[in-house]
Amino acid sequence: MRRLLTVFFAVWVVVGLFAVVRITISGWPGNPVEEATIKRAVDTFNNTIGKQKGIEVVWEPIAGDYKQVLMTRLSGGTGPDLFYVDVYVFEELARANVLLPLDTYVKRDNFDLNDFYPSLIEAFKYQNRLYGIAKDFSTLALWFNKEIFDKYKVPYLTNDETWDSFLKKLQQLKAAGFETPLALAPDFNRIIPFIISFGGRLVKPDLSTALGEPNSKKAIQFYIDLVTKYKVAKEPSALGSGWLGEALATEKCAVAMEGPWTIGFMRGSFPDTFKKMGIVEMPKGIKKATMIYTVAWSINRATPNRDAAWEVLKFLVTEGQRIFVEGAGVLASRKSIAAQDKDPVKQVFYKGAEYGVPWRVPTPTGIFSIANDQIGSLLKDLFAGKLTVDQAVKIIEDNYNNWVKK
Amino acid sequence: MKGLRLKYRTKEAIVGYLFAAPVIVSVLVFAIYPIFAAFYYSLTDYQPLEARKFMYVVDPYGALELHTGILREEAGNYTLDELLANFDPIQFVQLDLGVNLDDTEKELVKRYFDSASLISDFREGKLPERLKVSEFMKRYMRAYGHKFSKYVPKFVGLQNFEDIFSDKLFYTSFWNAFLYSLVVVPIQTLLAIILAVAANSKIKGVGFFKAVFFLPAITSSAALSMVFMLLYSKPGVINKILVAIFGKFGFQPIDYLNEPSIALFAIMAMNIWSTAGYFMVTFLAGLQDIPSSIYEAAKIDGANKFQMFWKITMPLLRPQIVFVSIMGTIGCMQVFDQIYFLVRNLRNITISYYIYKNAFEYGKMGYASALAVILFAVILILSLIQRKLIKEQY
Repeated sequence: MRRLLTVFFAVWVVVGLFAVVRITISGWPGNPVEEATIKRAVDTFNNTIGKQKGIEVVWEPIAGDYKQVLMTRLSGGTGPDLFYVDVYVFEELARANVLLPLDTYVKRDNFDLNDFYPSLIEAFKYQNRLYGIAKDFSTLALWFNKEIFDKYKVPYLTNDETWDSFLKKLQQLKAAGFETPLALAPDFNRIIPFIISFGGRLVKPDLSTALGEPNSKKAIQFYIDLVTKYKVAKEPSALGSGWLGEALATEKCAVAMEGPWTIGFMRGSFPDTFKKMGIVEMPKGIKKATMIYTVAWSINRATPNRDAAWEVLKFLVTEGQRIFVEGAGVLASRKSIAAQDKDPVKQVFYKGAEYGVPWRVPTPTGIFSIANDQIGSLLKDLFAGKLTVDQAVKIIEDNYNNWVKK
Repeated sequence: MKGLRLKYRTKEAIVGYLFAAPVIVSVLVFAIYPIFAAFYYSLTDYQPLEARKFMYVVDPYGALELHTGILREEAGNYTLDELLANFDPIQFVQLDLGVNLDDTEKELVKRYFDSASLISDFREGKLPERLKVSEFMKRYMRAYGHKFSKYVPKFVGLQNFEDIFSDKLFYTSFWNAFLYSLVVVPIQTLLAIILAVAANSKIKGVGFFKAVFFLPAITSSAALSMVFMLLYSKPGVINKILVAIFGKFGFQPIDYLNEPSIALFAIMAMNIWSTAGYFMVTFLAGLQDIPSSIYEAAKIDGANKFQMFWKITMPLLRPQIVFVSIMGTIGCMQVFDQIYFLVRNLRNITISYYIYKNAFEYGKMGYASALAVILFAVILILSLIQRKLIKEQY
């Protein structure tokens, strides 16, 4: 018995001596290229800073419905230590008090926030406290297939396209025999650049919906008309594709508005089509507009290892970000890294940061997910011709307050 | 020992229950308790994300540094009054400690929070480094500290039910589930009987057919959904075949799952196909129970196959029909996975998917529980009606 105890004790001491703090980091799984990149970042940390400070990082992606799984795990007390927070659900999580405010850490370490694009820092602030640091960002640009444009003898899209000239070129393609020039998704966030560039806005100053205002409505009408009236666009599923980038890569459409995430996807899986791609800025209406999508790393408020989690977070948005930018084709949220990013393909996306709007719709309760589902569903109806824009806008106006209440 | 001498029957009962204990306990824990809990939560505004709010371990120094903007090592440079002047207990607890408060809790904090003692501990460096929210509150509330030890969801009475009855999506999703059952149950039951009769006949390779009929039932619904997603897609096989046959009559390919008025029916067809084989097994068992002498007597009386089916087979399968239609209705009213995988338009969702969305995506657990209670009541009533309509006879 005593011998057994001694063995136990020895094992316990050994384990104790070499014990490392395990920090679990979670997000949604990316495509194979992105997965390889994040693994490389994790390995780099574990072999350098992690080794010195006794921290081991484990990447545990959550497949499927990220937000649902994350929220369930957080409520059960088994959430990851550090995780992705999409700007679109940020306020909901911040209000639920599951994210750790980072201000003291930033102050104590003199962590340089000025190196980040200000809009990306602002995007993750709630009640003047910082709850996450942008890991990267994306904007939308206009992708088109030069080969198809050549074949049907239509002039290329340019950086100075207006919505009218854009539509004209699509119609030329269609007239020349290319059935579906454009792929469009029935997602609310994809309409936002249209609304902004038409001079509309998403919400009024009192946070009620502004989608019924003339300019916003005109933008929605134009978006739907592309599908139902001019018949130059279809949704990806109608083309037999899962998403816009796939429709573009498989040449089922000639034009789509997509983000830099498609670069990595195409380079990896469709290198030949990628060579045919031209990428220009989004068409403009009264003004220029694009979407800014961004995701932050945030620390779980319930984590027992806050300091270690902060160390990991710091790495992920500095050295880690360099690895991501080089490997996965994302845009750096840090200006110093962005300045070194000379990839010519990405420049048009960086440019979008100057005039883009972040994908975050302010509401009185911070909750937008119900409204987003409902509007998305209405868009599907609109695409299918089940509703007119007037009817849809009326439904939105009548129910909006119910959708965003607690 | 005399006092412990039990009657034989009692002993036997104890041993019996001991043997059954694992099942009894697991049923109590995983079935009975959740059912009652759902009833309770349906009367509250249960917020899953807040369930653990008093159990978080907090770092009081960090929280105070955040609140005051003064680092702990600098705190000594300020007087108590200076620090107190900028201290707001409610904001401190809500934002910096990270505990969302409801109105009564806010009132308690406002009245009884001992700001002075907290701040002086901060100045003198006497704060604990790390402790649970509940312990922290016990320590720094002059009274009612125990109110902050366990999360109790707010009791809202029938509010959730009132909201449900003015929720359009409730009616849509409920009607969809109902329509789904109305179409699927009769067809799948009839189809299952036909399959069973076919599988029961004495033809060559009957085992092979049985296996083929049963195969969809043992395939994962996720895999089936993926296959049907391809079949139903616009450039999919079904459209190709239909265009090949009816193309000359002007048939246009349909995007089955994205067309709001067709999507639900497409899923119904898939479900009928996949579950008919499963219920076939029940009817097969029923068919084996029907004595062949009855069929022989009918033959002698000059009955044809069709008459024998309607006059003998169907009536004698009555118990199985009751069983299958009740189980089918329950399953159909709760249909979830195919909807989850295939439906993209809120117009086509069913009630259990709506429950899921509310509970896990919107974080409205109380509302979701209330929806679940209504679904439970409806299924109960439907089952009772079915039992009344198709009386069991033995």
